[in-house]
Amino acid sequence: MSENSKHLDLPLIDCDIHPHATSEMPLMPHIAEDFRQAVAQGQASQPGQGYANPFGVQRRDATIDGPQDVIDNLLERYGIVYGVLQPPGLNISLAANIDVGCAVARAWNEWQIEHWLNYDARFLGSICVNMNDPVQAAKEIRRAAQHPQMVQVIVTGESTMLYGHRHYFPIYEACTEMGIAFALHPGNEGARTPSTPIGAPSSYFEWHSTIPLTYMAQLASLVCEGVFEKFPTLKAVFVEAGFGWLPHLMWRMDKNFKALRSTTPWLKHLPSEYILEHVRVTTQPMEEPRKPEHLLQIFDMIEAHRTVCFASDYPHWDFDDPRRVFPPRMEKALKERIFYSNAAELYDLPSLEEFVGTQPVASALVEATK
Amino acid sequence: MSEKKRENIAGLNNGFGPESPLDYAFKVADAAAPPVAKRGRKINIGAASKIAPGEKKIFDNGEISFGVFNIGGKFHAIKNVCPHAGAPLCMGHIQTTHRPGAVGEFDPALEGRVLRCPWHGWEFDIVTGKGLYDAHGRVATYPCEVDENGNVVVTL
Repeated sequence: MSENSKHLDLPLIDCDIHPHATSEMPLMPHIAEDFRQAVAQGQASQPGQGYANPFGVQRRDATIDGPQDVIDNLLERYGIVYGVLQPPGLNISLAANIDVGCAVARAWNEWQIEHWLNYDARFLGSICVNMNDPVQAAKEIRRAAQHPQMVQVIVTGESTMLYGHRHYFPIYEACTEMGIAFALHPGNEGARTPSTPIGAPSSYFEWHSTIPLTYMAQLASLVCEGVFEKFPTLKAVFVEAGFGWLPHLMWRMDKNFKALRSTTPWLKHLPSEYILEHVRVTTQPMEEPRKPEHLLQIFDMIEAHRTVCFASDYPHWDFDDPRRVFPPRMEKALKERIFYSNAAELYDLPSLEEFVGTQPVASALVEATK
Repeated sequence: MSEKKRENIAGLNNGFGPESPLDYAFKVADAAAPPVAKRGRKINIGAASKIAPGEKKIFDNGEISFGVFNIGGKFHAIKNVCPHAGAPLCMGHIQTTHRPGAVGEFDPALEGRVLRCPWHGWEFDIVTGKGLYDAHGRVATYPCEVDENGNVVVTL
């Protein structure tokens, strides 16, 4: 651990790191031979949502040509002991050609394994799947999840159908069977239909600010359709779309449950109970209210000691620095949960105690936590 | 794979207790235990023959208000105040609900016994007063009988 990390008194798990293919680490060799021509022809191309950040999505000061860059500039620098990769293949379900999409999804998984997971045990992988072919996706999950560093399935917030739809059940079945989470990452809301139910926003600013609309719809769908009843061990991770909206959704759904539960008689518990038990959210981009204590109140409302996991979104423009982004008055016990333990439990990693006990680098951390 | 993960996959740690609050609510409703007659003020609300099956009569003397419902020939009295927000509960529709069950299954339950509050739609079993949305919710019910003259008498 570098000198720079000494100010951090806890190990961190970063739930959102974005690697990409480069000329040194190309994707093409990982695509099955039968599909290389189709991919070269652009058959795996995905519609864009039309809202490029006018100032660029990458942090200007960050390079991420390979895993060593991430180790040097992120992991070592901030005391991050595990980092969950969110590769570009998370958008592959937007590709029109289903078979080519499946081939590319698989390639992203092989690419992660070869260039990242096998390079350093701190990197954890996200399995890319084509949600438009649930049977093939489930097969790919059962295959790729055999790599011990693959910890979740990753899909984009935009989808053909809301994720609670039973069309997707084979995917959730495979996730629970393999003991991995199901995660959503935003970025392509608006690729298929306008990103808001009314119509298309006019700017990246407006588009980016309203991404939680999609997440609210996806979460309500997962709960109401009974996904967490049907798959009682499934965990869903809502990455990079905040959580300030979560108390509202929980309260609104709980209220409606009292009147409308007979229309979804498979729900045996309040929607908020399913959410708190099954859903995890990541911190970046952090909600930053004018009064920092309001953030702590939101943490309290959503039981952040079970539900919130740290994420940096490295190397993107709205990266969160773990040293600066949390209110100074946050209790250490909560910090431990958000920095490490919630993600460790979610991804079946060593507990904080186990980690601190087994890692020589962590002895300084133990001292610091006293 | 850790032991914890294995237990999770086996469904041993689904995070909830063995009985859900709704299981309890329906257990109470299914028992259909009528309120116990006790000594109290008796109110004669008129001829039973005037309340057909599926119909109701609301009593309101400015001091207390309750509804008397004829469910399959039996009379049940329930307080006309919703415990949620004070709405005139007995003005709601009489319906059937669905029992908690498997995903995709609709199992009709408590046919013709479910009173849906007119304000926010919360469901109550008319026979027991049990709220059908959680473990605790309940509205008062009163013993109800037909006397020798054919009148419905409610004991408060």
